[in-house]
Amino acid sequence: MTFDFSVTRTLSMAKKEVRHILQDPFTLAVALGFPLLLLTFFGYVIDFNVKNIRLLAVDSDHSRASRQLMEVFESSQYFKLTAAPSSGQIVHLLDEEKAKAVLMIEPGFGKDWARNRTAKAQVILDGADNSIAGTILTYLSGIQAAALKKLSGEEFRQTITLKTRFLYNPELNSQWFVIPGLTVVIIGIISILLTALTVAREWENGSMELLLSTPVRPLEIIIGKLAPYILIGLGAVVTVYLAARGLFQVPFKGNHLLYLVACALFLGTTLAQGLVISVVARQQALAIQLANITGMLPSLLLSGFIFPIESMPRFFQIFTSILPAKWFMVIIRGIFLKGAGLLDLKTPFIALFIINVVLIFIAAKSFKKDLEP
Amino acid sequence: MNPDFAVQVEGLTIQFGSFTAVDDISFSVKKGEIFGFLGANGAGKTTTIRTLCGLLTPTKGHVTVAGHEYKEGDLSIKKRVGYMSQKFTLYNDLSVKENLVFAANLRKISKSTHEKRIKELFAFLGFTHSDTTLVRDLPVGLKQELALAAATLHNPEIIFLDEPTAGVSPAARERFWALIRQLSAAGKTVFVTTHYLDESEQCDRIALMRTGKIIALDSPAELKKKTFPESLYELEPMSGQSQSAILSQLEKIKQSGAALEIQPYGMRYHVIVKDSRQWDLVKEQIKPTFSYKPTLPSMEDVFIRLVEGVDR
Repeated sequence: MTFDFSVTRTLSMAKKEVRHILQDPFTLAVALGFPLLLLTFFGYVIDFNVKNIRLLAVDSDHSRASRQLMEVFESSQYFKLTAAPSSGQIVHLLDEEKAKAVLMIEPGFGKDWARNRTAKAQVILDGADNSIAGTILTYLSGIQAAALKKLSGEEFRQTITLKTRFLYNPELNSQWFVIPGLTVVIIGIISILLTALTVAREWENGSMELLLSTPVRPLEIIIGKLAPYILIGLGAVVTVYLAARGLFQVPFKGNHLLYLVACALFLGTTLAQGLVISVVARQQALAIQLANITGMLPSLLLSGFIFPIESMPRFFQIFTSILPAKWFMVIIRGIFLKGAGLLDLKTPFIALFIINVVLIFIAAKSFKKDLEP
Repeated sequence: MNPDFAVQVEGLTIQFGSFTAVDDISFSVKKGEIFGFLGANGAGKTTTIRTLCGLLTPTKGHVTVAGHEYKEGDLSIKKRVGYMSQKFTLYNDLSVKENLVFAANLRKISKSTHEKRIKELFAFLGFTHSDTTLVRDLPVGLKQELALAAATLHNPEIIFLDEPTAGVSPAARERFWALIRQLSAAGKTVFVTTHYLDESEQCDRIALMRTGKIIALDSPAELKKKTFPESLYELEPMSGQSQSAILSQLEKIKQSGAALEIQPYGMRYHVIVKDSRQWDLVKEQIKPTFSYKPTLPSMEDVFIRLVEGVDR
């Protein structure tokens, strides 16, 4: 086969594609609206930092020590205390979602403390909402230390101090963690979905036959059709980057060039994935389904975006390794928050590269077979 | 390769998996001819036409179009033919001009050439809408004419039209056929498939396809002569005749042994004469009930007879 790639044909494909995008409200909405929607959603609406937890306090001791304990809870800002009417209604109030946790201070708490015996207080948690319960649990050890310090006065000497310092995200701000990760989700969804749709539309419309009856080459069709979506994908990368830096004040510690290279690499794999889908599905409705299942779900749920891969069952820990989204997530967070370099990220980069090559190979092979008589 | 032929097909077979869509067909189309491909849906017309345009690879056999034998990956045929698919293939969300310019760019026709060519085609079609009209806003008949324009932008030697008049109004169909005749008069070879039997009479030659095979191929007149060597009469019931009277008279013809077959033809009947002496006797007897006149078989008669002949 002679190689007579035509720039004119490719450009006119691309130009036509842009006209389609501008004419089609759905594509336009996905391309522009989706990144913004996800940014607002994950940036403002969903907040993994749990604050102002409603805590019912049942103080049956009424001592100085018990009041000091409650003050410690209150001043941590994690809890909002209300005095419980009576201990009999506790479960009822938890059921009604009036409170997420209950602090029970038994009579004798103050006395035990004064006599240097272990002073006991009980915390009851609403285990139905286990994400909040888990968070409260992590706060409790801090509260315990603070209470010990407060009740015993300044002169209390701690024999061993464990000082925790969080690197890269000292305040454990969840937005710092989530927003850069959105790059993965947004590229994943936009490029897989739009690529799958654009080719499926051509089949559904019947216009693929028109294209194929002219001397246009499959490579020209692919590049011409994908070019606008590569730009949209890169546009989404820049949008998320600007929003992260500007709106959410996430620091960027890494190398911009490396960041861009990683994005391009990931974009390559998602576009290839979209092409493979379009070969399988020649109807837009089916293409949307497949893109959601193979693109949106893994990037949202199995990439480590929200749910840590380390805490998944062993099968999923291994399974997720074939998902480009998992590796790209590691790369993005590493570059963004830690300033990691290529050497630090060699494993995810190599993995992503291999997946990229394999997917592009499959896409080129199946697409070519599909198009050429 | 015979230079007088625009299309030469030899032993063409096309299989999809275990299904044979086209089964060992051979035929040739002369240059400048209007060549009709007739057959029911699923007979293999579209598969054949797609193969001739280089969209499908033959499983077996040889295909030569516009002087070039089909080779996989070779674009020589695609450059020389125009193809208008059965499905409407232009973009509804783009304007008339955008569609045509896009088609021109795919074929690398220079700007000055395609602008001139589009003007010519608009004049040829009598297209008077603004070229900024969105294609979706055009009536179906005009869309088809526009698709014809897009398929002939590059001035192809052969034009393949796959059911170009399906779903179009009778007036628009008539207009479209006038365009086809003009193209032919200008020296183009037109290869057209249809399942409208009346349209096939306008072709120079027709091939009749059935389940992947060509069961007849000739000019319409020859086909009629060959298929109906007997004479054919059309009976028209006189006004005011009761159904029972008509039926009893038809029975009389049958009894006389004059007719090979009597077929209903709309409100009328076609009598295929077997024994002309008997017929001369019986036709006088049925005079009060029917008026009769000798007639030529329509393509519908031919089609029914040929297909039944194959089925027998």
